[in-house]
Amino acid sequence: MKGSLAVVALDLKRLWQDRVRLISSLVQPLLYLFVLGSGLGANSTLGGPDYLRFIYPGVIGLTLLFTSVFSAILIVFDRQFGFLKAVLVAPLSRVGIAAAKVASGALQALVPALLLLLFAPLIGVHAGALGWLELIAAMTGAAVTFSALGVAVAARFNSTVVFPVIANAVLLPMFFVSGAMFPLTGTPRWLQRLAYFDPVAYAVDLMRGALLGQRYFPVWLSVIVLTAFVLGLGWAAARVFAAGEDA
Amino acid sequence: MVVEAAVAVEGLVRRYGEVEALAGIDLRVPGGALFALLGPNGAGKTTLFSILTTLRRPTSGRARVLGLDVVRERSALRRRIGVVFQEPALEQKLTVRDNLLLMAWLYGVGGRIARRRVEQVLDRLDLTAVAGRPAAKLSGGQKRRVELARALIPQPEVLFLDEATLGLDVDARRSFWVHIRQLAASGTTVFFTTHYMEEAEVAQRIAMIDRGRVVADGSPTALKARIGGGVIWLNTADDAGACDWLLARGLPAERAQHGVLLVDPAPAERLPGLLTELPFKVLRAEVHEPGLEDVFVKLTGRGLDNDAATGSESGVQVGWRP
Repeated sequence: MKGSLAVVALDLKRLWQDRVRLISSLVQPLLYLFVLGSGLGANSTLGGPDYLRFIYPGVIGLTLLFTSVFSAILIVFDRQFGFLKAVLVAPLSRVGIAAAKVASGALQALVPALLLLLFAPLIGVHAGALGWLELIAAMTGAAVTFSALGVAVAARFNSTVVFPVIANAVLLPMFFVSGAMFPLTGTPRWLQRLAYFDPVAYAVDLMRGALLGQRYFPVWLSVIVLTAFVLGLGWAAARVFAAGEDA
Repeated sequence: MVVEAAVAVEGLVRRYGEVEALAGIDLRVPGGALFALLGPNGAGKTTLFSILTTLRRPTSGRARVLGLDVVRERSALRRRIGVVFQEPALEQKLTVRDNLLLMAWLYGVGGRIARRRVEQVLDRLDLTAVAGRPAAKLSGGQKRRVELARALIPQPEVLFLDEATLGLDVDARRSFWVHIRQLAASGTTVFFTTHYMEEAEVAQRIAMIDRGRVVADGSPTALKARIGGGVIWLNTADDAGACDWLLARGLPAERAQHGVLLVDPAPAERLPGLLTELPFKVLRAEVHEPGLEDVFVKLTGRGLDNDAATGSESGVQVGWRP
């Protein structure tokens, strides 16, 4: 346990030392929210203010998705420059290493996502205390799921150049299919079917339900799917760590 | 009473697809020994090192460290070994002290015990003065000593070093080995890989490895005695032709990458005659007591700086140069 906490502590220390990364991770979501959101909202049947409120949980999802997955690049960096070997020869369980990496990625993603909550009054999002609590719980679940995805993918790479390219190729379709920027109801059937296979769709749906009370999937289904993703991806990452240099 | 070897390897094979990196290695390293695995790049040193430090699995065969199987009991083994890798394994932005504290936490040691252990190791390796400096700001020699300090934090019974002084200048290497000798003198088993002959000379036992096989194993003195005389190195306008000429006269010549090696009971007396009779222009001739390089060439026909088979093991080559 202490060893896993050391892995988390190191990653958080790195985040603190790299505060520019933290601040810059807010730029993309704010652009989506206030520029793209305002532009699309003006032409949306929902109307401008309602559209901004609608995409707000989606933009939080975007922040969590990209920040948590890209924070996993530290694994690739550590593999490329040797530090991962020092971790792998330490007496830590491989599940413990995977869990620590997932936790640190989730924490790193939650920081900018929580900062986005400060913009809620500007957008006109007003949820009760329970609504905010439910949102934070959903955000945590989403952060853990996306971080597990990042760790499972990053554990297999040893090039910091290739990983972001692959990650973008996977993340952008997941984000577009999720219904973060538009309601899934009313979209073509193939898109709705595809959304059932997209963990981002469930995560965004949970957050939107907490803030606006609008849900596309039943809550129980979203919770089960996200839990299954975390366990499956975490297990896959632990297997890669267990393989050591044979991975 | 049978004394358990610190490292015991039996019939170890490791294949990467069609390539056989280890072709049946047998080794025994007694507890407390300073042991060198000597071989050229691509010989299989790093693969064997990775298996012994639990980072890779063998294709077949067995390896035990401190009596623990490196595959089945690797969790228990990891608590009892320290490892210095060829590549740096430090967090460059953290200070030296924080790097070592982090390592203590990774091994489950925290609080006052961790801090005390870190200070002890810093003191032991003369690193206290740079303890507050980020790892990135250290010299190459200091970084290597911090790597060694990192490996000593878990108080290992066996210390593994993989080409640990690669790229260091002579002074930094010398200083590094002073600490290693002290460790070995205090009872820690030290297993190191190298292709530097002068480093291997400090070992009590050496295993020479080539193309995935151990070609010789013994003390430096015993290995050199296998030569059975002194050594003449010749560098001619046509080394292949010179080697054939010597062999045709019944002389035990070996063709190596950088010349021709000839073992002779009285090399100083033999050389003048050779220089007169040899039908090739001699560019350089050298007579000396046998060294480990000579033993290696005699056994394999190749020098230690031969990187013809270079695989993943890359780096600076220092070997015999005519």
